Amino acid sequence: MSTGDKVFVADRISKVYTMGDVKVHALRDISFSIESGEYAAIMGPSGSGKSTLMHIMGCLDRPTSGSLYLRGKDVSSLTDGELAEIRNAEIGFVFQNFNLLPNISILENVELPMVYAGVPPKERRERAVRALEMVGLGSRLHHKPSEVSGGQRQRASIARAVVNRPAIVLADEPTGNLDSATGAEIMELFDELNAKGNTIILVTHEREVAEHASRIIHILDGEIARMEIRKTNGRGTTQWEAVEV
Amino acid sequence: MNLLEFLKIALGSFSTNKLRSTLSLLGIIIGVASVITMVSIGTGAQVQVTNQIGAMGSNLITVSPGFIRGGGGRISQDIADVFTLEMAKAIENLSPNIKHVVPTSTTMGLAVYGGNNVRVQISGVTPAYQEVINHYPLIGRYIREEDVSNSEKVAVLGSEVALDLFGSENPVGKTMRLVIGGRTLSVKVVGVMEPKGQVLMANYDNRIYVPVTMLLNRGLNSRYVDGYSIMAASRDVAKAVVEEVQAFMTRMLGDPDRFRVMSQDTILEAVSQATSTMTLMLGAIASISLLVGGIGIMNIMLVTVSERTREIGIRKAVGAKRQHILIQFLLESMLLAVIGGILGLGLGWGGGYWISKALSWPFSISVPAVIIAIGFSAGVGLFFGIYPALQAASLDPVVALRYE
Ligand SMILES: Nc1ncnc2c1ncn2[C@@H]1O[C@H](COP(=O)(O)OP(=O)(O)OP(=O)(O)O)[C@@H](O)[C@H]1O
Ligand SMILES: [Mg+2]
Repeated sequence: MSTGDKVFVADRISKVYTMGDVKVHALRDISFSIESGEYAAIMGPSGSGKSTLMHIMGCLDRPTSGSLYLRGKDVSSLTDGELAEIRNAEIGFVFQNFNLLPNISILENVELPMVYAGVPPKERRERAVRALEMVGLGSRLHHKPSEVSGGQRQRASIARAVVNRPAIVLADEPTGNLDSATGAEIMELFDELNAKGNTIILVTHEREVAEHASRIIHILDGEIARMEIRKTNGRGTTQWEAVEV
Repeated sequence: MNLLEFLKIALGSFSTNKLRSTLSLLGIIIGVASVITMVSIGTGAQVQVTNQIGAMGSNLITVSPGFIRGGGGRISQDIADVFTLEMAKAIENLSPNIKHVVPTSTTMGLAVYGGNNVRVQISGVTPAYQEVINHYPLIGRYIREEDVSNSEKVAVLGSEVALDLFGSENPVGKTMRLVIGGRTLSVKVVGVMEPKGQVLMANYDNRIYVPVTMLLNRGLNSRYVDGYSIMAASRDVAKAVVEEVQAFMTRMLGDPDRFRVMSQDTILEAVSQATSTMTLMLGAIASISLLVGGIGIMNIMLVTVSERTREIGIRKAVGAKRQHILIQFLLESMLLAVIGGILGLGLGWGGGYWISKALSWPFSISVPAVIIAIGFSAGVGLFFGIYPALQAASLDPVVALRYE
């Protein structure tokens, strides 16, 4: 199949968890593609397989069957070490619960991806400071994650996700633990990133959040139920139009 | 990523888990400290015994009676009628390697002065004996050649005997009585020996030295002495002297079983073999505690890995590879072990020093023991750290992240 200049092409991806005799089909033969520079949202009820899909796209997990192509390359053929390099340099991941290391400062947390990339300490520090300034945390560099608010933690984890300048940013319910005002501020950061050309895919339960994207993918029981695309008409109002799966 | 980065991570994780790190350090500290203490006690004992054997005399070779095994109704006994004074002279002229030959005869007796009496060991010797056993008079003089040739009734007292009999009086010039096997002799005290103390089994200060001829002729009424103390010209020729004396006496007596020739080195060898076996055994026993310390590290590291599953997941999510995690955890356990090893070394050093002071032994710590202890603890850290580190490194990132 042609993968063109698509960032992701999912080809009949399935994920089955086996627990004793019980088989849980978290994903069932999912196929879709994401264009370069796209801003996509994934919605669906709890347990529908959103996180499972995000982990596979984030190269944190492998599908049970089917293939995921990252810029035309079949990810399932890569070694663990190569996947680590992709997670390090090509994909930034933002988690609902931030996943910052609690015992080191926010600055050191943001430096972490560069530590594993082998960036020299001086450059590392400069870049981490710049990333934190970009997300509005320039005054909280040496605080521990527990010493700042939830919104600030999520800003720090976004800084960490983008500090190695990945082209793709994946976010699994990035506003899920935040109040709606703080969530809106966080969404502005994603909008900015997308405007700069990053491909953004985020999972959310909130329609309002999902509407920041240009496409909404609805997942139900491990399958794509429907998709919507944003259409802006002549008078400047936006409408969401259902498209073929 | 260089080693320094890993070191920084490891030290960071120690400081966030101070109590736990300290506890696992403690295991290694105690292990290494006990190895160092035990081995230093062992080697201290070895030095002590070696010094004592050296204190018996310099380049000393002893000739003593052989031993007849019991059999055919006879009980076993020492052969008594072998060593004459003439033979001592003959041995002395054997070779230039032989510096002195002192015929010695020893018996127990009673020393009496005024109202005091004390049981003593009476040793019949010749003037060379002071040099042979490296023990000299403190006041007065030693036995002289003419005392020996005239069987003079003179005596030199050990320091303890002098104190017991004469108290604060100066014994030199006084006349005392010696009771030897029913006979009583009046002897003149001509000197008092310097204190030498207990050397191995013998107490040199509870002795009285008299001319060997006087003891044989006037006390024991015998022609034979107990044996000879020979001083070789140097330590290097001691072995040759042993062989020369052995050959000569076999020729003279016909039967090599009637006497025994032993050098200090022979004794030294036997004793140091025994003490180094002891050192080894002490070290081995102490090593068990080091092993237990290592298991402690493994235990702590396993707890650490499961407690830090989420940390591992986060590190992997941002790009840490298997080997990054492996090195991080391995370095942590090795660092724990080596820091514990160094602290334990200090403690063991102090402990060994304190114990040897308390026993008034020489303190001795061997550089190899130190190197082995530090190297061994690093090895313990490596060995017991590998399994937990592998566990950490092989965690699946998504499983680690979902771990609650
Ligand atoms: N490690 C696992 N072992 C077994 N089952 C799992 C595992 N991880 C996920 N599942 C199951 O797979 C299904 C999809 O899970 P997933 O986390 O992808 O859902 P989700 O859409 O992200 O839900 P939520 O909105 O609550 O986050 C669920 O039924 C879940 O119970
Ligand atoms: Mg989820």
